[in-house]
Amino acid sequence: MKIEGEYTFTGPREKVWEIIRDPEILATALPGTKKLELVGENEYEGEMQVRIGPVAGVFGGKLIVSNEVAPESLTLTVEGVGKVGFLKGSGDIVLRDQDGNSTLMKYSGEVQIGGKVASVGQRLFDAVSKSMIRQGLGKLNEALRV
Amino acid sequence: MSDLFNVNVTVNGTLYEREVEPRILLSDFLRHDLGLTGTHVGCEHGVCGACTVLFDGNPVRSCLMFAVQTNGHEVTTVEGLGDIDDLHPIQQAFWEAHALQCGFCTPGFLTTLVPFLEENPDPSEEEIRNAISGNLCRCTGYQHIVEAVQLAAEKMRA
Amino acid sequence: MTYKFIGKRIKRNEDPRLLTGQALFVDDVDIPGMLHVAFVRSDYAHARILNIETEAARQHPGVVAVYTAEDMGDEWAPGPPLVSPPPTLAGVIFNSRRQSPLAKGKVYHAGEAIVAIVAESRYIAEDAADEVRVDYEPLPVVVDLEKAMGPDSPRVHDDLDTNLAAHMFQKKGDYEVARAQADLIIKKKFFLDRGAAVAMENRGVVAHWDEKSQQMTIWDTTQAPIPIRNGTAARLGLSQKQVRVIAPFLGGGFGPKAMMFYPEEMLIPWLSMKLCRPIKWIEDRRENFYATTSERQQVHEVEIALTNDGRVLGLKDDFLHDTGAFDPYGLTIPLNTQCHVTGPYDIQNIASNCTAVFTNKPIVTPVRGAGRPQGVFIIERMMDFAARELGMEPLELRVKNLIPPEAFPYDKEIIDQAFAKLILDSGNYLPVVEKAREMIGYDQFIKEEQPRLRAEGKFVGIGITPFIETTGVGPYEGVRIQIEPSGKVNVATGIGTQGQGHFTSFAQIVSEQLGVAVSDVSLVSGDTAEFHWGTGTFASRGAVVAGSATLAAATSVRTKVLKLASKVLETPEEELELEDGVVRVADLPHRSISLGELAALANPLRGAVEPGTEPGLEATDYFGPAYGATSFGVHAMIIEVDPETMMIEFKRYITVEDCGTVLNPLILEGQIHGGVSMGIGNSYYEKMHWDENGQLLNASLADYLIVTAHEMPNRIEVGHLETRSPFNKLGTKGVGEAGAIPVTACFTQALENALEEYHLEILESPLSPNRLYELLRNLTMSTYGREARK
Ligand code: FES
Ligand code: FES
Repeated sequence: MKIEGEYTFTGPREKVWEIIRDPEILATALPGTKKLELVGENEYEGEMQVRIGPVAGVFGGKLIVSNEVAPESLTLTVEGVGKVGFLKGSGDIVLRDQDGNSTLMKYSGEVQIGGKVASVGQRLFDAVSKSMIRQGLGKLNEALRV
Repeated sequence: MSDLFNVNVTVNGTLYEREVEPRILLSDFLRHDLGLTGTHVGCEHGVCGACTVLFDGNPVRSCLMFAVQTNGHEVTTVEGLGDIDDLHPIQQAFWEAHALQCGFCTPGFLTTLVPFLEENPDPSEEEIRNAISGNLCRCTGYQHIVEAVQLAAEKMRA
Repeated sequence: MTYKFIGKRIKRNEDPRLLTGQALFVDDVDIPGMLHVAFVRSDYAHARILNIETEAARQHPGVVAVYTAEDMGDEWAPGPPLVSPPPTLAGVIFNSRRQSPLAKGKVYHAGEAIVAIVAESRYIAEDAADEVRVDYEPLPVVVDLEKAMGPDSPRVHDDLDTNLAAHMFQKKGDYEVARAQADLIIKKKFFLDRGAAVAMENRGVVAHWDEKSQQMTIWDTTQAPIPIRNGTAARLGLSQKQVRVIAPFLGGGFGPKAMMFYPEEMLIPWLSMKLCRPIKWIEDRRENFYATTSERQQVHEVEIALTNDGRVLGLKDDFLHDTGAFDPYGLTIPLNTQCHVTGPYDIQNIASNCTAVFTNKPIVTPVRGAGRPQGVFIIERMMDFAARELGMEPLELRVKNLIPPEAFPYDKEIIDQAFAKLILDSGNYLPVVEKAREMIGYDQFIKEEQPRLRAEGKFVGIGITPFIETTGVGPYEGVRIQIEPSGKVNVATGIGTQGQGHFTSFAQIVSEQLGVAVSDVSLVSGDTAEFHWGTGTFASRGAVVAGSATLAAATSVRTKVLKLASKVLETPEEELELEDGVVRVADLPHRSISLGELAALANPLRGAVEPGTEPGLEATDYFGPAYGATSFGVHAMIIEVDPETMMIEFKRYITVEDCGTVLNPLILEGQIHGGVSMGIGNSYYEKMHWDENGQLLNASLADYLIVTAHEMPNRIEVGHLETRSPFNKLGTKGVGEAGAIPVTACFTQALENALEEYHLEILESPLSPNRLYELLRNLTMSTYGREARK
């Protein structure tokens, strides 16, 4: 499944970059994240509680940051496995300066799901993932103001 | 292991007192604890209607209820509708109209229809189709079932 | 021939038990000390298994045992192949790859079983299954049929060079010659997709190894108990006598329950022996979508050659057939497709080229129709396109090409699923077509009603589709009949029954011979302890093959009855009649003796049974047809399409069947209604959606929509004509799958007709309201494009 979109942060690009590179802030921003720890250079491990329609469960997995060009772009790779299936994906994130001290984030990527989340939750996965991304980006934007 | 709860439930007129885990589904309780295997399970998620039973007279999906929820209530299953040599008019009509083939879905249809016909003694075809639209049957194509309901309504009015 | 019982609308013997919840289904079996199994199944469609961590599950309270393929040691072995490819075809390739009880090293499709957890309850087994951790290395996945045969495709089986499962070419005449002579050649490509059988009862196995008596008893939701017994005995190193397989009441079969040796069928009995405990496994609905077989995906490239006046000279069909990850069922489905792709038409030049393809999807075996609906869809689509090109009435073109009555028996020269050339035994097709035409009011609809409704802005269309169904194939079935001293009659047969009414229709055959009430005949089917020769219920063969065996055995018993009664009543046999449970002298009805008394006399306690006679009134007989019996029928429908919602309403639905002698019209109608409902699902509602990673995206009844009472026509009108099959004494032909076979073809025709003004060309099945909307939108967009360019 493809995921694509953009979001405007109310803050300068460097600040946005700082925030998305801070695991503690990221952990609060990703809905359902129970923990997110830096385990290696640019590699995080964590757990996330996800509910998609009738399917709910904890995914444990990795998040890897690569192709980093600070403070401009990076590639995120996620891999999660849980009792209700698996999730795998990667996406590119690009930041651009906007007028009036704001920053435009463009993201695009591919996600693959399997197991119960796919066979029973697929119908809702699209909607759920979009709303999770919206919520998460909203949280990050709030964090900018602090 | 979780704690056990008391369930006192009247099924088909008999009072049963059992201790069950709170997560035990009503369908499993009826089938495996009480041995009333006429109630069938086709989907385990409330879609097919095969597991329908009457809970205080109203049709419910026993795969969506926990056994503990029936404490102090009355449940009727297909076994409580009629006997082999004393069929309920709906059972009799299903027989005469050939409204069952494998018979797996049948108990759920019967339990859905008993209260329906009590409330609608003279239903239209449209009403009948609405009444059974939450019950899936893979064998009959529903036509004989609709005819059986019409026949049963006639029998019950007589 | 006039019958007293055969052909009558008789209520079914089996119903009172079913109606009161007293019938035994596999999940109803309860044995003290029984353990329960849950499986850990693969989330991936194709992956290497790196590691399986089962320790936590083993420690889980209430868990008795945990097995992986490794844990099975030397006793792990793939399942036996079911049927071999047709030996008589030159140049056939068949790569046999078989499923195994538990995946070893690699998983080949999502939902493949990897670990079996045995526990005190199903709840505990499932909890423990959640604690198993499997590490995978995901591999590239093969899903799309055409890509699967491309040079760069990943491979399902590492030891094969390609994903080719089988290849076979069949021909009649010479297509190239026909092509050269033709005035019109039409070429099209079609995509057909998978649907699921969705019997309301999921599968299940209960196995009970009794250490003391050294007996294995298995209750199995199988359509083929006897082969399961034979195979199980071989796998477990037991004698066939030590294994009893019971297929009790089944909640629908529709084909997939005839697959032989599902992994669970190999594993559960083995576990019972290992652990010396009764063991139960019942499939849940999600497992059913992944672990039970399904069918219908094919891609066809077809060419038809015609003359200007509408004679079909030849047909060429090149097709890919999805066989899933393994191919234990051989080539039954594509052989059926090859046999039906020329339909009821006299086509002298045929070239049919089939390539079966491995994919990372669950195993494919027959689902009601078994490859026939695909063949019928293809030929009927081609007929529709040809009629359009030639400016002929679609029905006129069809009638012109029907096999004429004098051509029977008609040799299609194409090998069928019984590995013999398909001979159509008998038929008289035109009257059946005429009857359907009349019943639906074809001419009146086309000339008056349709124009009037169209003028009102309604989208109404008609479809009318003739089809054949090959049925009643061998090898054989057998039946034993015995009259008890009570006067009741026991019948035992080896086939299983899944709702087809065998308890009643076979009883009618017996009643006809023995003059007893149908309710006094009780049938045991599907219990190897009662009867242990036979193959199973598939290919619409129950009524034809086991029914004919029933007739043979009943006739033998009748002979014994007459012989003994003649002696007792001191009257020549010719003067005796069997009526109301007694044998009586025709003109002197008071001189009679009941069948029960005769049965007692035939089994004396003192004295001597005469040499050369057998005790009792009992006989066993078999029937093995040299050829199948091919039914013919026509479906016709009038539909209305709502242009806003794309929803369909059936205004009329007609079927006319010629399946020879009808045993019980009530049961026949039921079979047809049910088949049509599945056909409607296959046409417009049911499609298994796989994503490019081999994940099934609609594995629940909330997402995979089988028809409800709302989607069905209010009335399916069933007409009947009778051309008796000369190949069996009953003269009957099968009908079990007929209802489902032509529906998609007929529906598509009606849909195009309803939307005639859009010049829609439908090249796929199943459709859905969404998909129809897309097709129309693409069409109007491309028309816009053309307009704009002008
Ligand atoms: S089993 Fe309860 S609705 Fe299907
Ligand atoms: S009779 Fe078989 S599912 Fe309804």
